[in-house]
Amino acid sequence: MNSVNRRVFLQSLAAAGSASILTVPAARATTTAKARVVVVGGGFGGAAAAKYIKVMDPAIDVTLVEPNATYTACPLSNEVISGHRTLESLQTRYGGLTARGINIVQRWVTAVDPVKKVVTLTGGATLSYDALIMAPGVDFTWGAVEGYTQAVSEEIPHAYKAGPQTLLLKDQVMAMKDGEVCIIAPPPKPFRCPPGPYERAAQIAHYLKHHGKGKSKILILDPNDSFSKQALFTQAWKALYPGMIEWVPGKDDGKVVKIDPKTRTCYTTFGEHKGRVVNIIPAHKAGKIARDAGLANAQGWCEVKPMSMESTVHADIYPVGDCCIAGELPVYDMPKSAHMAVTQAKVAAGAIIAKLNGLPNPEPFYVNTCYSLAAPDYGFSVVHVYKVEDNKFIYVKTAGGVSPVQAPPITRRLEAEYANGWFNNIMADAFV
Amino acid sequence: MKKAIRRACALMLCLAGSTMVAPAMASGSIEALANTCNNCHGLKGVSVGASMPSIGGQSESYLRMVMLEWKNGTRYSATMGRLLKGYSDEQIAALAKYFAAQPWVPAEQRAPDQVIFNGRLVSDRCTTCHGERGGQPTDAETPRLNGQWAMYLEMELDKYRDEAVKLPHRKMRKNAQKLEPAEVSEVSHFMAVQKGQ
Repeated sequence: MNSVNRRVFLQSLAAAGSASILTVPAARATTTAKARVVVVGGGFGGAAAAKYIKVMDPAIDVTLVEPNATYTACPLSNEVISGHRTLESLQTRYGGLTARGINIVQRWVTAVDPVKKVVTLTGGATLSYDALIMAPGVDFTWGAVEGYTQAVSEEIPHAYKAGPQTLLLKDQVMAMKDGEVCIIAPPPKPFRCPPGPYERAAQIAHYLKHHGKGKSKILILDPNDSFSKQALFTQAWKALYPGMIEWVPGKDDGKVVKIDPKTRTCYTTFGEHKGRVVNIIPAHKAGKIARDAGLANAQGWCEVKPMSMESTVHADIYPVGDCCIAGELPVYDMPKSAHMAVTQAKVAAGAIIAKLNGLPNPEPFYVNTCYSLAAPDYGFSVVHVYKVEDNKFIYVKTAGGVSPVQAPPITRRLEAEYANGWFNNIMADAFV
Repeated sequence: MKKAIRRACALMLCLAGSTMVAPAMASGSIEALANTCNNCHGLKGVSVGASMPSIGGQSESYLRMVMLEWKNGTRYSATMGRLLKGYSDEQIAALAKYFAAQPWVPAEQRAPDQVIFNGRLVSDRCTTCHGERGGQPTDAETPRLNGQWAMYLEMELDKYRDEAVKLPHRKMRKNAQKLEPAEVSEVSHFMAVQKGQ
């Protein structure tokens, strides 16, 4: 096939795919594949990487290894707690990727050999790779808050991986009586979805206020001294839920160090707080398989090369999404968001394809958009734009930033709608 | 036609093998740059979220103009201005060219007949500039509306109707403000269900 025909073909394929009329099962490249890519983890980062590698070069054999048949997205999952969304509305399966010719293997990856370039799956089967996308997401550090174990989380939910935990927290919030207290304890930075705990406070307040429980309180006991979109959240809490949400920063003894699950008492260094509902979000680190593969630094995160998202530790392994740490540290690190994960995945996909085809590495582009909903019709966002200069991530300070605090009132309603539109598009961008 | 495309794709995928060496991205980094837009606007600019506009197949002049206005702050935006301040004018021009070259794919939408009928009655406020069915704008700086998402069109009209929102197009504001509140939704749906030009 000459290059012109091939380009026309690729365009028609992409156009067909985007219009959802591509129903033929794509050919499974096996023996004829020119290279193999294995993707560990089927969240936003992993799914998007698998898709974009296949879209950009269908001759590459792509295998996505993901233990779950259904993926539940975290963005907007705080709306499940307030009752404005169903958990099902956040879920997808992997049929969209299968239709593109990507192999889906429903297993765990138990080991990575970065020298032989082989991964081992549960059951013992192995997959060799020319390039590996590492996208396992995050694990929690159990015990970082004394008394908060995985077993305890079955009663006192973290609800920070969307799924049954989200529904458990929702049920507990719904069982609250007017005047009772809900405690949210965010993790220390860095953590996935930086505005998540604060959006959650607003969503819970929204439920309580509109269900005759307006005397209830949400107490945020925070180990951090500042948080994402802080001015916007503070403004929204005051405007929408006056007197209902109190935030205690780390410097004012906000850090929860211990919990008594039986009495639902949170102990800070000097004080104690009892909640009818307690939501502890433990400290994060890169998923176990990434750490076991030796990709993580002392803080538990995978460092990457800005031009390609390739690991700084092992060649041909590309950590993307929440497991990696990137950007201008410590202030302008890349947020652990779905949008960022998908963006990183596209950079990694481009770099892998270039390398496998002997082409120069394409110029990487990193952008992030992250919407938060303080109410169904009240949203705001943060935007990040990064450039790469001299092999370093540079946060573009002339761009990006949060929604203006002083804005025409229509802005909050528009951004709430954009959040919903963004969600549909990012789901399709990664999984269809 | 769709079946023919499917068959052609299937055949070509079967032919796909180790002899293929030139991946799509070899054409340059514009694809990599444009991919950053897909997160919100869909692959090739075909949005599947009702509040986010499809941009694939809009005119190059229109796309470049609005992006530059957002970047320069002369046109209100909730989000886009903050993003575009991170792009050079050359990148913006390249993105406009790239998305203008993509096919326009009308979004699949429905509305009750009565709503569409009512919308048609007031659509002359739009058609003078955007074309009889919204798909044939009179100049290159005017966007097509046929098959655009109704919710997005409604939100745009709401912006034009709001004096607190800074927008450069006086004629557009005048016409948007002349609509009755119910007509905003109706005319948006009328344009949204138009498949042809």
